[in-house]
Amino acid sequence: MSAKTLTQADLTSLVSDILAADKRVVAPSLVGIGPLEHIEYRPLHKAEDMVLDRGLPKRSIKEMFFPPTEVVFRWKQKKSDVAIDEIPTTFQQTVVIGALPCDAAAPGIVDRVMNWDYRDELWNGRREATTIVAMACDGGDKSCFCTAVGLGPESSKGADLLLTPVKAGYHVDVLTPKGEELVSKYSKRFGEAKSADEAKKYQEAARKKVEGNLSFDAPKMRAWLEGNFENEYWRTIALRCHGCGTCATMCPTCHCFDIVDENEGVLAGERRRNWDTCQTGKFTLHGSGHNPRHDQNARFRQRVTHKFAIYPGKFGEILCTGCGRCQRQCPGGMDLLEILGDIARMAGGAA
Amino acid sequence: MKALQELARKLLEDKTVSVVIGYEEGPHGVRPAFITKPDQADRLIFDPRCVHNLATFLSPRRSHLVTLGKKAVVVKGCDARAVAGLVRETQIKREDVVVIGVRCGGVTGDPMGDGKLTEKNVAPRCAVCDVREPKLADHLVGELPPAPPTPKGPDMVAKLDAMTPEERWAFWQKELERCVRCHACREVCPMCFCERCIADKSMPQWIESSAHPRANLSWQMTRVLHMAGRCVGCGECVRACPANIPLGLILKKVAAVVEERYGYRVSDDPSVPAPIGTYRLDDKQEFIL
Repeated sequence: MSAKTLTQADLTSLVSDILAADKRVVAPSLVGIGPLEHIEYRPLHKAEDMVLDRGLPKRSIKEMFFPPTEVVFRWKQKKSDVAIDEIPTTFQQTVVIGALPCDAAAPGIVDRVMNWDYRDELWNGRREATTIVAMACDGGDKSCFCTAVGLGPESSKGADLLLTPVKAGYHVDVLTPKGEELVSKYSKRFGEAKSADEAKKYQEAARKKVEGNLSFDAPKMRAWLEGNFENEYWRTIALRCHGCGTCATMCPTCHCFDIVDENEGVLAGERRRNWDTCQTGKFTLHGSGHNPRHDQNARFRQRVTHKFAIYPGKFGEILCTGCGRCQRQCPGGMDLLEILGDIARMAGGAA
Repeated sequence: MKALQELARKLLEDKTVSVVIGYEEGPHGVRPAFITKPDQADRLIFDPRCVHNLATFLSPRRSHLVTLGKKAVVVKGCDARAVAGLVRETQIKREDVVVIGVRCGGVTGDPMGDGKLTEKNVAPRCAVCDVREPKLADHLVGELPPAPPTPKGPDMVAKLDAMTPEERWAFWQKELERCVRCHACREVCPMCFCERCIADKSMPQWIESSAHPRANLSWQMTRVLHMAGRCVGCGECVRACPANIPLGLILKKVAAVVEERYGYRVSDDPSVPAPIGTYRLDDKQEFIL
């Protein structure tokens, strides 16, 4: 692993260089009007649209690998025959710039399920075409809990390069062959590393800021969840939950989808997959009318159990990066930090 | 706050209700509270961070709340319109809910903020508020605080009205293309109480569920038309939207059209009929050829 330095001006030039080479650059940029203006990860038209100083984008990076809707294949009917048009599974080379560590780590966690019993070509195609340049975080706000799930504001998990803000611009850790390729291709933009100590101090201060928000013993939490499906605790867990699924929409690791067929005219159509979430009643509604997750309490239990017991049991990783969006943006005020804290106390693993 | 807490305690103690839905200080700002025991009543608060429309929790669609039993609910004047709407549209019976009205000095859009009202953070609806003292209330608590500051910024509805149809079309295309079809707008809406929403019907599929421009327009226009003369303007859909789509603008416009054509403004009196459920011989009908 090597290190470099990148000035602010060189970062802007780097983005322009990459765009000029017909690659896609995705970075936080401004979207929306008036008081609703906010930042989202968006493909850039020009380097100047990149906004790196406004913290965490409203939604996570997941939609760059798993869009809210995508065509899986198209069909055409000809008398009794159906012709299937495959969808390309190779994608334009993309560089994500400024992904915060809680976003950069997420695709690697979701890789497990996307390569489990079936190798998801669309997900993997986008993953392979993408280089992630992560940005070390300043420690976020009171809703952040990355350190509780084994990550941190300086975590390089999932990143090909990690930028850490320093006086001269950014200290750059080159972490993977993809990262090295990017640095060598645009080597004129990168200088010799000289701010490693300064970067380390920034990272330590950030970690200190977020560490106090939440901590728990993950194996103990998993054991409690596995043994307490019928616990009284769940019965009133989600009174204030509207079942709107904003937590899942925002979440960098929630990955459930629905498959639908849509006609385009009479004899042609497309099959799509669309985001879906276990927080809605429809998600588990049977054709008979029976719903095994009959109310919002049961649905919220599912969300917590899947992330902190089922997924770790199956794939060895917690399905959460501690970005805090589910708490920050919940219109009903559901608070995953509080709930995890409660469970940690019941599980005897609170620090 | 003492009066609110005392009242809630009394309602629970004498078993008038089995739950009081109000606001409390959570670990990360103000949030809805469900008080079921008299000794928890001192958790209740009210301040400018209490933006949530708690009438939403009265909707019979929320099965996990129906089982809690008879409810009292804390409402601001604007939220009281949603209680009236639910009664008017026979979703709840007026006598099945105890309405605790709070006198309001305006709210911010941010329950996690510091609660200081400014021209910048005051909720847009507070600018046109004429119900700072709720009328539909069994109990009224608190002193009337000073009026909120007037929100800053241009009148976007007027701006959109001044556009050519092509410009307006382009504006909404751009805003609605961001819709991810999560339907959070519907889920948090106090007036979206259908047991089965038209957007969830698949045989036939009236509205495609995919987040592409055609389906997004079809969904949002359907919702807006179903809201005509019914939307209480609480802004919960805007607050919940994970794409920050300015749904409030189009709902405000539709409300203005309903007022112009039918002389009806969404009322906090459940006995006032809404245009969508009434027929009058003098309804304007010049648009019928």
